Amino acid sequence: MSAGRWAGAAALAAGIGGVVAAPYVLPSYVVSLLTLTFIAALLAGSVNLLAGQAGLVSIGHAGIAAAGAYGVAWATVHDLGLPVALGVAAALTLAVSAVYALTTMRTSGIVFLMITLALGITVFGLALKLSSVTGGQNGLTGIRRPGPVEEWWTFYFFTAAVSGVCLLALAALSRSPFGLMLRGIRESQSRMTSLGYSVPAVKFAAVLASGAFAGCAGVLLAWNSEFMSPSAASFQRSALAVVMVIVGGTGTLLGPLVGAGIVVGAEYWLSSYLERWQTALGVALILVVLFAPRGIVGGLQDLAAQRPPRPRKEGS
Amino acid sequence: MIPRRWKSRQQAARLLLVILALTLAAAACAPDEDTGGGGTGGTVKLGFISPVTGFVAALGTDMRRGWEMYWQQNGGKAGDVTVQTVYEDDTGDPEVALTKARRLVEQQQVQLVAGPILANTAYAVAGYVAGKGLPTVQMTGADDLTQRKFNPLVLRVGYTSSQSNFPAGQWAYDEGHRTAVTICPDYAFGWESCGGFVSAFVKAGGKIDRQIWHPLGTQDFSTYVAQARQAAPDVVFVGSAGGPDAIQLYKAWTGLGLKDRIPLIGNCCFADQVFLREVGSEALGLQSFTYWSEGRDAPLVRGFVEAYEQQHKEIPSLYAAGAYTMAQVIAEALKKTGGKIEGADFIGAARQVSLSDSLYGALTFDDTNNVVGPVYLTRVERRDDGTLWSVVEQTFPEVSQFGTEGKEAFLEHPVFSRDYTGQ
Amino acid sequence: MSLDELLLQALNGLSFGALLFVLASGFTLVFGLMQIVNLAHGAFYLVGGYVGIVTVTATGSFLAAVAAGAATGAVIGLASEGLLLRRVRGQELPEVLLTVGIALVVADTCLAVFGGNPRSVQVPSALSGSVQLGAITYPTYRLFVLALAVVLGVALYVIQHRTRLGALIRAGVDDREIAESLGINVPRVFTAMFVFGAALAGLAGVVAAGLLTLRPGADTDILLFALVVVVVGGLGSLQGAAVGSALIGLVDAFSKAWVPELSSFAVFAPMAIVLMFRPAGLFGRART
Repeated sequence: MSAGRWAGAAALAAGIGGVVAAPYVLPSYVVSLLTLTFIAALLAGSVNLLAGQAGLVSIGHAGIAAAGAYGVAWATVHDLGLPVALGVAAALTLAVSAVYALTTMRTSGIVFLMITLALGITVFGLALKLSSVTGGQNGLTGIRRPGPVEEWWTFYFFTAAVSGVCLLALAALSRSPFGLMLRGIRESQSRMTSLGYSVPAVKFAAVLASGAFAGCAGVLLAWNSEFMSPSAASFQRSALAVVMVIVGGTGTLLGPLVGAGIVVGAEYWLSSYLERWQTALGVALILVVLFAPRGIVGGLQDLAAQRPPRPRKEGS
Repeated sequence: MIPRRWKSRQQAARLLLVILALTLAAAACAPDEDTGGGGTGGTVKLGFISPVTGFVAALGTDMRRGWEMYWQQNGGKAGDVTVQTVYEDDTGDPEVALTKARRLVEQQQVQLVAGPILANTAYAVAGYVAGKGLPTVQMTGADDLTQRKFNPLVLRVGYTSSQSNFPAGQWAYDEGHRTAVTICPDYAFGWESCGGFVSAFVKAGGKIDRQIWHPLGTQDFSTYVAQARQAAPDVVFVGSAGGPDAIQLYKAWTGLGLKDRIPLIGNCCFADQVFLREVGSEALGLQSFTYWSEGRDAPLVRGFVEAYEQQHKEIPSLYAAGAYTMAQVIAEALKKTGGKIEGADFIGAARQVSLSDSLYGALTFDDTNNVVGPVYLTRVERRDDGTLWSVVEQTFPEVSQFGTEGKEAFLEHPVFSRDYTGQ
Repeated sequence: MSLDELLLQALNGLSFGALLFVLASGFTLVFGLMQIVNLAHGAFYLVGGYVGIVTVTATGSFLAAVAAGAATGAVIGLASEGLLLRRVRGQELPEVLLTVGIALVVADTCLAVFGGNPRSVQVPSALSGSVQLGAITYPTYRLFVLALAVVLGVALYVIQHRTRLGALIRAGVDDREIAESLGINVPRVFTAMFVFGAALAGLAGVVAAGLLTLRPGADTDILLFALVVVVVGGLGSLQGAAVGSALIGLVDAFSKAWVPELSSFAVFAPMAIVLMFRPAGLFGRART
């Protein structure tokens, strides 16, 4: 193997080693932040599939995650057992993703953004409204995790594993012919159509696929907090997911993870020391956009390949 | 980083196997956890969570100020025990509140968590803290916290959302009103507030013409006020959560000329200081049923208001008063336990606290860890220096969270909701 | 619902729509000319409003407050465009993200400087009180907001279609290269437009403070309304902003009256309908 590949493999091993060692060397609070980071990275990864590959930025994905979360929350609170809970979460995620997909498959750019925005807020409103099912504003308490992952550290490993596998799957998807189709759509929809692809069908599938990962993130979220309320579907949460993707770097494997780490770090770690952490986050976002347009991971990749930073490709 | 073009799928599969194997291996051994610990010797460490940023930043800031003021006035001590507080900001989001609670318990090793305020954040935090075996003191109004969701590790130093409105219902009837319209926000706090008034008013013999529910964050109340006017009741009850909604509602009320036509009574949180500052003289004479009256003629209240105003240039709100009282009860409990904080024992001691005077008046606790205390009928008046505040017109002592029904009968029926407000 | 109530709700809807128009017009003009979706528009509104409130408290003059609010918006807009947006001119997503960053910074700074209490403005006595319209009593200030929006709309239309400045702007929108080759300093026109849009947002904030209350989060609340308005009306179109704001204002008012449970997402219904049949908005131009 070349030196680069050895370095890559070594970095990977170090990364995995670090993740595994964390509960033994770091305080439990920091580990809980890492758990949150993995969950956020999964949601960001789902947004990244659409934004990075197809150029479709969704600012309402927290709504899909919330659907999965409420599914598992409601079923657990009603003592329906784990398989049923997961089934309900899957069904709800599929249903909500399908709505997102159907309403956006013929749109792109700003209109796509607006529709996903509206849908996210609609999910939030429904969660508030259907209080007999969702617990309304007060939310649902007592969502016990499944037995094997009840402890903080077992749940951490579980989340790390699930997120790791999902991020790899997302990467695999990007490198597959399907990913190629998505990138083709980003380059030129008309060309794709003339090549015989049904652009709406591809977009539909992409949103559904992305939704599945978002739903996973939602289930993990509900289990992590053992609590669920409508604010998980809020516009702010969806917007933060987009910020994570941008700061980390769209279209990269580790981008969502890095972005999630930074945003979670700002929201929970920085905020304990700096009351103006939101200003700091805003400044960080501005700096990244101005000086590292391909995000942090993208920027590092450019540096490694000794390319000058160039603007992201724009799709139509 | 990961090679950008994988030559074979085998590499990916190998990677996956490695991850899974390591995870399983690691999962077999449990690491240590950090909780409890806390203070050393004659010190206790308390955690305090409130929303200092976000849409309810005003409430959270006031809470922090009230809490700080108590410890300032008492030299940072409860008897011989030194009290340290670690502050966290929950931004009004339950996810954040929970993570901050984790930080307080696991990293900062606090022995007790006080706050936050919003019901969903309080439920999330209380669930977690109690789950760790630590006591928590709340001031949120969410009824069920000390009713159907009672937990021996949770103490509420405050009134439930419905509690202060029971006397309101009875009083309205006694004043000769026979029909009423209620205007409450369409979520748990609103349902519970209205529930308190409606159940008492109907029990006394009154009739509710109409219950108007509005979404939280409504900017324009003219529709709802117009509906109330149309029903032409004897009295209108408003169960507001305060803030912009209260201000907008009252502006619509006066704007449509109803101020001197139909009597209006507010709940605990309608005509608070934030409201009075913005609404101004139009609020003179407005009556409310509440537990915090900044103009109440008691030495403790006078002292608190004076000191607070000197430091923060504003009259303290009920959120400041509430946090101050939380601190007071905790301090009294610490004196009883000699500075020890051990789970349910501490809450038990706190529950025994009986204050002949607090900012709320004479307080005791019932056996589901909720306050039993006075409710005041207040009126907005102008103080000597021109500022507006509420003064007490009538006192209703020893009001319980169960109204006049008693615990068993009250718990028979479901929690107040949009469909059930006690009619 | 009686005729009087109908009129009342219609006026409520139109006066709220009027406020939305003042805000959305700046937003849509900036988009039309520069293709920038300025998500910091709500933050400009908020900071302008707060400055206006503080000005009224200090000077007692509503007029001064309005000027101060607009000026604040203009200054912050100038800083945003000149220092930041200019560097990513032409790149759609980076521009939007920059505005998100700016919005975060401005909104948090507002919290730090003005505190978390909800604030509003004491409207001048000339505009307070109510007016008798047939059988209903209607607040004077709301009618003022309505009148203001109409005046603004007419003024903008006249400027856009009857003046040389308007012609310059329309030229820049239609074909930037030709406009530049004709000697028009297009970048400067762009900056001026952005500053103007931001000033309008600040103005809207002060006017809103007499109608609503400002508090942390009010920037995103109003931005969402503005976004819906311009999507319905068509990005870049002034007529679209006018029709869109009236429509959204009315939908908001009537949905609160008739179906309050659904009112929080009722405004998305017209958006969904418009997007289904005319994805570019009622008066928008399909973008290539």
